[in-house]
Parts: sequence; structure tokens; C-alpha cells
Amino acid sequence: MINLPKKPPPSLMVFLGIPAAFLFSYYCFSKVGFNLSDFRENLQNRYIVTDPLFNPKWSWAIENASEAIIETIQIAILASIVGCFIALPLSFYASQTTNQNKISFFLYKSFLNLVRTIPDLFWAMMFTVAVGLGPFAGVLALVMFSLAIMGKLLSETIDSIDPGPLEAAKSSGASHNQSVFTSALPQVLPNFTAYFLYIFELCIRASVILGLVGAGGVGRIIETQRIFLRFDRISPIIVLILVVVILIEQFSVWLRRRIL
Amino acid sequence: MNLPKQPVQQKVLKYAITSLIVAGSIWSASGLEITLEKILKAPEQIAILVGAMFPLDLSQEAIERILPKVAESLFIAWAGTVIGAIFSFPIAFLAANNVAVNYVSEATKQILNGIRAFPELILAFVFLPITGLGALTGTLAIGIHSIGTLGKLSSEVIEGIDEGPLEAIKSSGGSKINELLFGVVPQVMPTITSYWLYRFEINLRASAVLGVVGAGGVGAELINQLRFRDFPRAGTVLVATVVLVLTVDTISAAIRRRIIKGRSIKIDQ
Amino acid sequence: MIKFENVGVVYPGGVKALENINLEINEGDFVIIVGLSGAGKSTLLRSINNLVKPTSGNVVVDGNQVTNASKKELKKIRSDIGMIFQTFNLVNRSSVLKNVLTGRLSQVSTIRSITGLWPKEDKQIAFDALERVEILEKAYVRGSNLSGGQQQRVGIARALAQKPKVMLADEPVASLDPVTSRVVMSYLKKINQDLGITTIVNLHFLDLAKEFGTRLIGLREGNLVYDGSVDDVSDADFENIYGRSIKSSDLIGEDD
Repeated sequence: MINLPKKPPPSLMVFLGIPAAFLFSYYCFSKVGFNLSDFRENLQNRYIVTDPLFNPKWSWAIENASEAIIETIQIAILASIVGCFIALPLSFYASQTTNQNKISFFLYKSFLNLVRTIPDLFWAMMFTVAVGLGPFAGVLALVMFSLAIMGKLLSETIDSIDPGPLEAAKSSGASHNQSVFTSALPQVLPNFTAYFLYIFELCIRASVILGLVGAGGVGRIIETQRIFLRFDRISPIIVLILVVVILIEQFSVWLRRRIL
Repeated sequence: MNLPKQPVQQKVLKYAITSLIVAGSIWSASGLEITLEKILKAPEQIAILVGAMFPLDLSQEAIERILPKVAESLFIAWAGTVIGAIFSFPIAFLAANNVAVNYVSEATKQILNGIRAFPELILAFVFLPITGLGALTGTLAIGIHSIGTLGKLSSEVIEGIDEGPLEAIKSSGGSKINELLFGVVPQVMPTITSYWLYRFEINLRASAVLGVVGAGGVGAELINQLRFRDFPRAGTVLVATVVLVLTVDTISAAIRRRIIKGRSIKIDQ
Repeated sequence: MIKFENVGVVYPGGVKALENINLEINEGDFVIIVGLSGAGKSTLLRSINNLVKPTSGNVVVDGNQVTNASKKELKKIRSDIGMIFQTFNLVNRSSVLKNVLTGRLSQVSTIRSITGLWPKEDKQIAFDALERVEILEKAYVRGSNLSGGQQQRVGIARALAQKPKVMLADEPVASLDPVTSRVVMSYLKKINQDLGITTIVNLHFLDLAKEFGTRLIGLREGNLVYDGSVDDVSDADFENIYGRSIKSSDLIGEDD
């Protein structure tokens, strides 16, 4: 008679977790007001939106929104560059591979985590109160946004680099900064570039919204048009932005292939 | 000593990129009229605002107003993620070029890209006139955007699987459905589930923001408090948001790690 | 040159890596350390430049206290000690020249190393080091584009660029084939003979140890069990060091 191995008991997480997830989902949907019949009724009204939406007024958009779109892009460029480059040294402090001081590591990592928890629009709202309405607040908000994402991504990358070259530099008497700069940084440069391009794209999308709270860019125009349900003016603006995003995406793919 | 020559191409590329970055920054900064003066004044102005937020408004009234809204953001985010997960899963298979026929997968991918392109807020705009102010609009906006992003990510996971197990199933006489169920799904579930959870973390932030346009959640509270210059209460909203997001992030990260790592089974001797 | 005074290393968790090591290594010696994996070879080597700090005892290098040295003193001591590693530890994306220049970091200000404006003399030292291991023509090639043996030669050049008094080699040929291993070992031997640099090499290939070593040190479970000339060592001695009879995996053999 063969001795069958004991079947491992079902994982507690799966056993409790999945039913809990279902129950919670049901609760959420009810709390959110999800009601199929109401929903169907609401959909009858969709023509308020879809009629103008699919009737874009290109000339209006180009005439009135071009400047704002450029402003939007400028906010994204500046914020992603500044944010990512500030994040570069911070990330090395936020990784135990390059920061052996436990207290300092904890502080930097917590700082990055904290900045990550606040949504970009919240930052924008606060900065408009602090430094006034306009694109400067928007830039500051997206700097925090970029910093947070680059900080997390890059510090996690640094966590998994080869510590060997760092050890080699240390053993030759080099200072901590020199070791990190010559032996850790080169290892993560390709990742930094990829993350930067990704964050730049995210910034452009985010910067479209900033105008809603007065932090510059095309959001201001979108908001005013929305109130009057002028989706016929909003849709061309969105499409123009999307075109820019796609162009940048293509450029970044091309660039990535050339550097790596 | 015959010193070798340094290749020119490397240096040129480096200088080109550096100048591109510097030029881009200067063009943007001047276009936005960001002067050194503004930059230097900023830290002080920020400190003034932060100072005005403390001590936080922790009165009964404040908490009664804010807590339900915070919870609402949570519900919106979860419901939206569930919508995203449920619909994106089958769509991902249609978008994967190793499961679906080429033109089907290409078309699906383009549709997903189209959906992804719209920020949640814009989607919320579109839904507002239809479904009105409130949490449902936010949920729909987040849900549909999530279908787009999760669909693309999931399809990439499916495309990256090891075809070996599929071949094994096929060679033993299994059908295409068997291949999917026993070959593809077990391989992709851990990663896809962890993407769902990660999406939930991001959606939580999005749902907080949607309140600004009235699509439910805590964003409306924040913008109102700031407008009325009630900084202590605004500070409370911020802290409440941070606490919620941190908690969810930590739990979700722990669950994601466990999913990817798998369970260690104790083998009794 | 190098003195071990009652050196002991106990890792957190209670593992005794080194016990009661008393050892004196003279200037210009070419010492080979053998022993099983886990016998303490790596720990012994790393206690010389304090990459591992002994929990008891002292290491003195060229008259300088290493074990309890201050950060500043330690940097100076380390700059006189060159180290090469089993996994080469090159920065893969950087060029050979850049890798060798990292050997000069301790002598060059941080600003200069960051901007890449190395002084001419330091660049010349790097070129000289590269020439000594006969790989000068690859100066601008990326580290990852070299073979294992070439990478280790760059590692040696990097250590040489420090103009060190001591050279430490931690299993330098463990990842290389027999022919390349002998090439690398002969470079180390030649450098020791030509420049008089005290050289200590960890090896686990016994035939290689006999081929290249002059002085042999055997470690077993953290203890010094053999210290003598390579010519005097017998198979029985090796078995004592290893605590078992010699296996074929202990020999690097010839290339077929």
C-alpha cells in the first residue's frame, strides 16, 4: 500500500480571502448605487453627451486651445525632468543596497512612500493655495508626482542590482559617493531612462487635468466647456492631446532602441 | 604605448541628450513664466500653508463629514477595480496574439489603447451628464479606464507564457479550452491577480480625485475646505486620505508578494 | 607586512568563521590559501581590508592597525590593498578604461570622478595597468563584451591601478577554464615577482596551488592547519586540510 502524502490544507488566504472579496464587492456595488434598471434608464440620456462628442469642432479647438495645450506639454516636460532628477539621488538613499545606514534609509523610503500616497490633483490644489493659481503650482504638483513614482521604481531597481562592483570600489578605498556613482549608477541608467520616458507620458496625461483646479494647462478650458456640455469642443482637444501622447510614445520607443 | 582611440559616437549621443534635456527645461520654464524669484519664494509659501493646517480639525463634526467620504472613495475604487478585472480578463485573451487570431488581437489591442488613453477624470466628465453626480459615475469612470489598462497588461502576461505546458496538453489530446484552462490560466493568474491589486492601489488615488468634479469620494471635501480657507479641516482630509492609501497600499503589497512568491508547504516526514 | 594577531570571526547567528588565527606574511610573499568551501578562506582575506571586521583579535597591515581603524584610516589602508574577485565585479555597462579608473577613486576628488575629468597621470596609470595584463587595446570596450578571462584581467588591472602594496585574490579563477586560469595565475605571479607586491590568493584547485604557490596556508573549519612551503606539502597534508581524501573536483586538471 503506497503511502500517499498528506494533501496540504487550503491556504487560509484563499479560503477566507476569496469569499471576503466577493462579499466586499457586493457591498461596494450597493454602496455606490449600482442599480441595473436605473442604469439602463440613465443610458437613455446618453445622447446629451454622445451627440456633441462625436461632432468635434476642430477649428474652435485649434484656435482657442493650442496655447493651452502647449502650456500643458511644457508643464509635463519641466515637471518630469525636475522630478526625476531630484528622485535620482533620493532613490539611492532609499535602497539598502546603497544605503547601509538603517535610520537614514528608513527616513528616505518613508518620505517617498508618503509623497506617493497623495494624488496629483491634491498636490495641485495645495500648491495653488500656497503659490497661487497658474502653471507654477501645476509644475510643483507634478514634480512631486514624478518624484514619487521614479523614487519607488528606481529604488526597487537599485535593490536588485549586483552589489559586487560596489564592494570592489569600497575595497579600493573609494568614498561612498564615488562607489555609488561609478559602480551602482551605471547599472541602473537604462532603467532610469525607461522610467523617465514612462513618467513623462504620465505627466502629460496628468497635466491635462491640472487646469481643473487652476493649476495651468488645458484643463481650465475643458472645465468651462464641460459645464456647458460643449463636448463637441472637448473631444477635439482630447484627441489633439492623445496625438501628442502617441507621438511621444513613438519617439520614446525609438529613443530606447537607440540607447540600449 | 599604442593608446586606443575612444569611439566618438558615445560622446555625441551623451551631449545630444543632455542638451535636449536642458533646452526642453529652459523652453518650458520660460514659456510658463517660472522665474527664479518664484522658485525661491515657494518654500516659504508652502511652509505657511502647512503651518495653517495644524492643529488638524478633529472635531466630531469634521470626522462625521469626512469619514464617510473617505469610505466612499474606497468603495468606488474597489467596485471600479472589480469591473475592470472582470471585463478585462476575457478581453485580454482576445488581445493576446498567441491565443487569438492576429487581426482579432490587433484590433482588440487598439480598442484597449483607445480606452486607456482617456484619463479617468475625462471619462467621469462624459458620464456625469448621464449618470449624474455621485459615486456611480466615479465607479464607471474608473471601471472603464481599468478595463483598458488591465486588458493591455493582462494580454502582455498571456503573451509571455511558456508554451511548453500547452504543447504537453495538446499532445496528450487536450482541446484548446483545456489548453487555456490548464496551461495558460495557472501560469498567468499570479501575475494578473497582482496587477489587479496594484490597479486597486492606483484607483484609490483616482477615486479620491474624482470627488473634485462631484463623482463621489473625498476630493470634493478637500476642494471645498480649501475654497473656504478652512485649512485645519483640509489638513484632516489630507491626513485621512494618506492613512487610507497607506493602509491599502501596505495590505495590498503584502498580498501581492504572497501571491507571487507562492505558499511554502511544510512536508511532514 | 601582514600580521594576524589572534584573529577570530563569529558571524551573527553563531557561525565561527575564523578561530584563533595567528599568521605573519612577509613583504613580497606569494601566498596561496586552500581549504574547503566554508573553511574561512574568504573571511580571512576580507579581514585584511576589513570588509569583514574580526570579532576578536587584530589585523595589522604595513604597520597600520586595520581592525579598529577609523573610517579615514581605513580608506587609506584600503587604497593600498588591491582586491580581485571570483565574479570579477566589473561594472558591465562601463568601458574597460572606466572600470580600471575606479581603482584610482581613492586618489581623486569626487567632483573629478563624477564629471569624468580624470587627471592625465591617473589615466596614464590606468593605461599602464592595462598594458601589464596585455589588454590595452580593449580600453574602450564595454565590460560585458569581454570573455571571463579578459574580465578578470581587467579586474587585475583595476587593482594594479591603485599602485597597491598588497594584492588579495578571492578565488580569482573559480569561474574560468583551465587554460585561462593558468594565464590569470601567471599574471598574478609575474606581478608579484616584477613589482614585489605581497600577493594572497584563495584557491580551491590543489594542483594550481602547487603549480603557482611558494607558500601554502591551509584552513579547516576556521582554523589554521597548515603553513609551509608548497614544495613540502604532501597529499596527506592536503587530506588533513580537507578532512577527507582528495577528489577530482579539487583539481583543475589540463585542458583536453
